[in-house]
Amino acid sequence: MIFERQSSPKPDNYFTIDPVVQGALAQLPVDFLRKDLDLPNIGELDSVRHYSNLANLSFSVDKNFYPLGSCTMKYNPKINEDMAGLEEFIGLHPYQSEADIQGAMELIFNLQELLCKVTGMSRFTLQPASGAHGELTGMLMIKKYHDLSGKKKTKVIVPDSAHGTNPATAAMCGYQIVVVESGADGLVDIDKLRAAVDSETAAIMMTNPNTLGLFEERILEIADIVHNAGGLLYYDGANFNALLGVTTPAAMGFDVVHLNLHKSFSTPHGCGGPGAGAVGVGKALFDFLPVPVVSKVNSRYYFDGNIKNTVGRVRTFYGSFGVLVRAYTYLLRLGKEGCLRVSQNAVLNANYIKEKLKAIYNVPYDKTCMHEVVFSCIKQKEKGAAAMDIAKCLIDYGIHPPTVYFPLIVKEAMMVEPTETESKETIDNFIKVMKEIDSLVGTDPQRVHDAPHTTPISRPDEVLAARSPDIRWKKIGA
Amino acid sequence: MPYILNGDKDVKEMLKTVGVRTVDELYSHLPDAIKLREGVDLPKGLSELDTRRKVTALAEKNKTLGRYNSFLGAGYYDHYVPSAVNFLISHSNFLTAYTPYQPECSQGILQAIYEYQSYICLLTGMDVSNASMFDGASSAAEAVLMALRISRKQKIVVAGLLHPEYAQVLNTYLSGLNLKVVEVPAAANGAIDLKALQGALDSDTGVCLFQSPNFFGLIEDIEKISALAKANNTLTVMATNPMSLGLLKAPGTLGVDIVCGEGQPLGGSLNLGGPGFGFLAAKNDCLRQMPGRIVGKTKDRDGRTAYCLTLAAREQHIRREKATSNICSNQSLNAITAAVYLSVLGKEGFKSAAANSCANAQYLYKRLKEMRGVSLPYSNLFFNEFVWTTENAINILNRLKEKGIVGGYYLGKDFVNHKNAVLSCCTEKKSKEEIDTFINTLALILHG
Repeated sequence: MIFERQSSPKPDNYFTIDPVVQGALAQLPVDFLRKDLDLPNIGELDSVRHYSNLANLSFSVDKNFYPLGSCTMKYNPKINEDMAGLEEFIGLHPYQSEADIQGAMELIFNLQELLCKVTGMSRFTLQPASGAHGELTGMLMIKKYHDLSGKKKTKVIVPDSAHGTNPATAAMCGYQIVVVESGADGLVDIDKLRAAVDSETAAIMMTNPNTLGLFEERILEIADIVHNAGGLLYYDGANFNALLGVTTPAAMGFDVVHLNLHKSFSTPHGCGGPGAGAVGVGKALFDFLPVPVVSKVNSRYYFDGNIKNTVGRVRTFYGSFGVLVRAYTYLLRLGKEGCLRVSQNAVLNANYIKEKLKAIYNVPYDKTCMHEVVFSCIKQKEKGAAAMDIAKCLIDYGIHPPTVYFPLIVKEAMMVEPTETESKETIDNFIKVMKEIDSLVGTDPQRVHDAPHTTPISRPDEVLAARSPDIRWKKIGA
Repeated sequence: MPYILNGDKDVKEMLKTVGVRTVDELYSHLPDAIKLREGVDLPKGLSELDTRRKVTALAEKNKTLGRYNSFLGAGYYDHYVPSAVNFLISHSNFLTAYTPYQPECSQGILQAIYEYQSYICLLTGMDVSNASMFDGASSAAEAVLMALRISRKQKIVVAGLLHPEYAQVLNTYLSGLNLKVVEVPAAANGAIDLKALQGALDSDTGVCLFQSPNFFGLIEDIEKISALAKANNTLTVMATNPMSLGLLKAPGTLGVDIVCGEGQPLGGSLNLGGPGFGFLAAKNDCLRQMPGRIVGKTKDRDGRTAYCLTLAAREQHIRREKATSNICSNQSLNAITAAVYLSVLGKEGFKSAAANSCANAQYLYKRLKEMRGVSLPYSNLFFNEFVWTTENAINILNRLKEKGIVGGYYLGKDFVNHKNAVLSCCTEKKSKEEIDTFINTLALILHG
């Protein structure tokens, strides 16, 4: 813990100040000044060691296979980092004149255009900071669209397999949530959907493929049902990696889509962020995007605040620009062919894992999956090891655990998303390890239950953490 | 093909295992009507070298702030970031890890975030902090929503000179909800009109949002504002520049309930405004209504200190539509950057970054005050930026720029009554020579 370090070297001179200028401080009224700021002071080398050692304790894509379902932990190409780190990008202040930042604006404009092409949408904003932020942007646009039409719309439909962000977002927009159960095939039950939709339906929020990794085959029918009731379709793009270059949200009938640039478009997750949740709209919501977007007249780029029914601004400035540079670089590298290879290999890798493991781990919906496969560890659970135990056991083999206990509709769920960037060799090793763990469950379930054995800590007491929260360092005695 | 490791032989074997002849068959259950027959309409992919050429060419069309003698701030600040900071946070294990859902293989990340939360609490004088929000504006909006959940009231008072973009984002966040917003303007001295504030606070008012230093750089009477709110059972949310807390009293010691703001000044680069991060800290009793992720300290099965994500029952993946917010991904890497920055600078280094920023700004103020043709309309204390006016300000700013000086942020853009006002900022990066050059150039432009 950095706050408990004892050393206190003399401060380093990272910058200096002219004594004449410093004199200006003397006039400050002491009433305003603090005396209580007691931060640690350990010096540069010990800071470097501290954070290097912390970094070394962690798994990452660069070090470990990371098949975390729903998170698309693909390789983060290093050229992206180089490009995002160019001084001519990182040295730009958001309030510099448009003349000074034409190159950055051109990049934003080009990325808006590329994302329109891969989704079939008509217009994009790159402002939202994450997937959930994109959802909020999209749903607020839908809200405004209905408000302007004067029709009473109170409900948003969410399948029971949806990401938690979907109902949480709809609630932030003041909507009532209507949950539609999945059918026995793992897909939206069309009859139940029909029964749930009425004239007050504002929208349905869907991800396709859904969180079971299955493609919603009746998507066009779903679109008709919702559209005929005057509702709109929201596409949660968290799983778009499965479909890149194969189809588009527009072709499936969606009116608004967010893309997680930190998933399908290869920008690194940075321990949970920053991401970017670009939002694209079709005809219905064309005039509702947040301001500003980047537009072009002749060969000049400008911040365009002229969007008739804009929902307003959703964050300061123009989005997570550094993330946008990475996604743009990635798309330039992929091109047309590369996009298709992404989804094809993501889907092939997932189906390969499913076929190789389905005799051992239950597959609740055994049909062709898309970019991820959901297992149910019920057989292992009967033998004394739950999905979480198996997940923890993987850590001992140097593999980051898949997502567990999600989607909520699968018992002992384990959601595996290998992504397209992994080699068959890596995947074969994962399959081998999963088989070994299953054998271990049969012979020594306690060992699995006690996993991991190779990490700096064993399993933390999460109940204790929540019951008596200690979420910051305090000076002893304070 | 970039970033794909499966060779033809691998693909063949895998297809055989799956029981299909071609990859296309994996999509045979998709309706034909939605399939892209010609693929997606993108150009051919580029080699890494050609990609580098193309992106670098775009970058070279820009002119960075560093090419000017700049006094631009207004919510994003050009502080000095020691080399060690960017070096450390570029570590692969920080850069390419996901949210630390699996604590056993993420202890380093979790500890770094716990230390970040501790740093934010120390700076703000608050009891608790979350693991970050998107940016200053979304953090302010979420802070307001949190205060309303706690107070169970429907009315919001926005007092004084809030950053215009924060006000815009707040309005967007509130647009789906049926809540009442009342604005209390600044008085003639640039600070919140306390009488008007008192009048606006009523029994329905759940929260009072204000900014200090405010958008014009002025430090508000935080103690009085908090006392007025408290007397009315209203929670206060204060947006602030975290760098100012290296010098100024912590809002937690002045009665504020919730503190938020943009964290970019703590080690972040300019990056055209993002990604930075929002910080959000509060008094203890707000903890279970906080949005976003929180890291907690606990024990492992063997009694050792361990860290994990905690209080997840507030969050969307558990609570769904009853969650405190929809936020999932946050700005972890930027938050960790702030911790690394504070650690590398250390207590004295951070305090001097704050103090030197203030000293430079005070010196610039003093020099401008001596100049004919320049007025300084506000006399209250400021931290690192302040307002000055001159006839035909926009023209003067343009002429300064021709001489390689970005004189500040033109306020006439957002405030119709301040057509000739400029907001100028200094950080510790400004040298006396640069400030003197600004002054001398301005004098030449104004007086020949």
